[in-house]
Amino acid sequence: MSSTHAFADELRGAQPGLRSATLRVAYASALLATAVVLGLVESSLPPVALLPWLRIGLANIAVVVALLLCGARVAALVSGGRVVVIGLLTGTIASPVFAMAATGAALSLGVMVVLQRSLPSLSPVGLSAAGSVGHMFGQFLVAALVLGSSSVFVLAPPSVLVALAVGAATGLVAGSVVSRITKR
Amino acid sequence: MTRADRIVIAVIAVVAVVSWPVVVSAGAADATRVAIAGPGGVTTRNLDSNEELAIVGARGEVVVRIADGAVAVTEADCPDHTCVRTGRISAPGSVIACVPNGVIVRIEGGGLDELDARVR
Repeated sequence: MSSTHAFADELRGAQPGLRSATLRVAYASALLATAVVLGLVESSLPPVALLPWLRIGLANIAVVVALLLCGARVAALVSGGRVVVIGLLTGTIASPVFAMAATGAALSLGVMVVLQRSLPSLSPVGLSAAGSVGHMFGQFLVAALVLGSSSVFVLAPPSVLVALAVGAATGLVAGSVVSRITKR
Repeated sequence: MTRADRIVIAVIAVVAVVSWPVVVSAGAADATRVAIAGPGGVTTRNLDSNEELAIVGARGEVVVRIADGAVAVTEADCPDHTCVRTGRISAPGSVIACVPNGVIVRIEGGGLDELDARVR
């Protein structure tokens, strides 16, 4: 299949970013679809006993892959697109939950973009772990605004530790996806 | 995982652990308040204060006592004393009402002793 070979050749030569505009559009769409599916899967998982607030952030895998393969702009599209689509599909759009998701996603990507540029030696694991903490902080900010009380931040330190762990785990997955795509 | 990863993760984890007691004590300082609404207006006190207030109600005096992080109406000039029998309240959102006197004691704001909402 020559088309597959051309595709692979293009990818091989394209590291660290994908140069072809067509390929970028294809990747952005595929990653957005993946992010939406992962987000829906996660939202239908039952809450974990004792940690009902724990979210793995599966959709963030697609965002990290987008950031590493296609750059910050595509990652922002994937992240923003998935927040809106998942908001529509789960019926939380225009609710505080949606505001929390959107702020968390924006802060998470912001942290990851800044770190990617300032600390190039960071692997997807560290990038995703820091992004996960950013996401959590975004949610806490909105929660504090909605509740009109900063007392929610009492829960922040333990949440940071959990966010680091789940962020590192999703980063590990994202990293292995990226290396499989680029080093075929 | 690279060295940079370990450093970033370690720094964030250390900040979280070190800030834990600070954040918790700051949260405790965001004190719970007691709002006493009567015909004469609203009086607000911190729940951790220790005092006895005589509120002028519609029929007579209502004595509100704040002590040991809880509030109770100890005396009231009313026929049924439902407010006195409500006893001590301390959880945010709890209310003692003395309807004949038009006095409502309510606990506002503050701590996160109990979950009142859950977001996934």
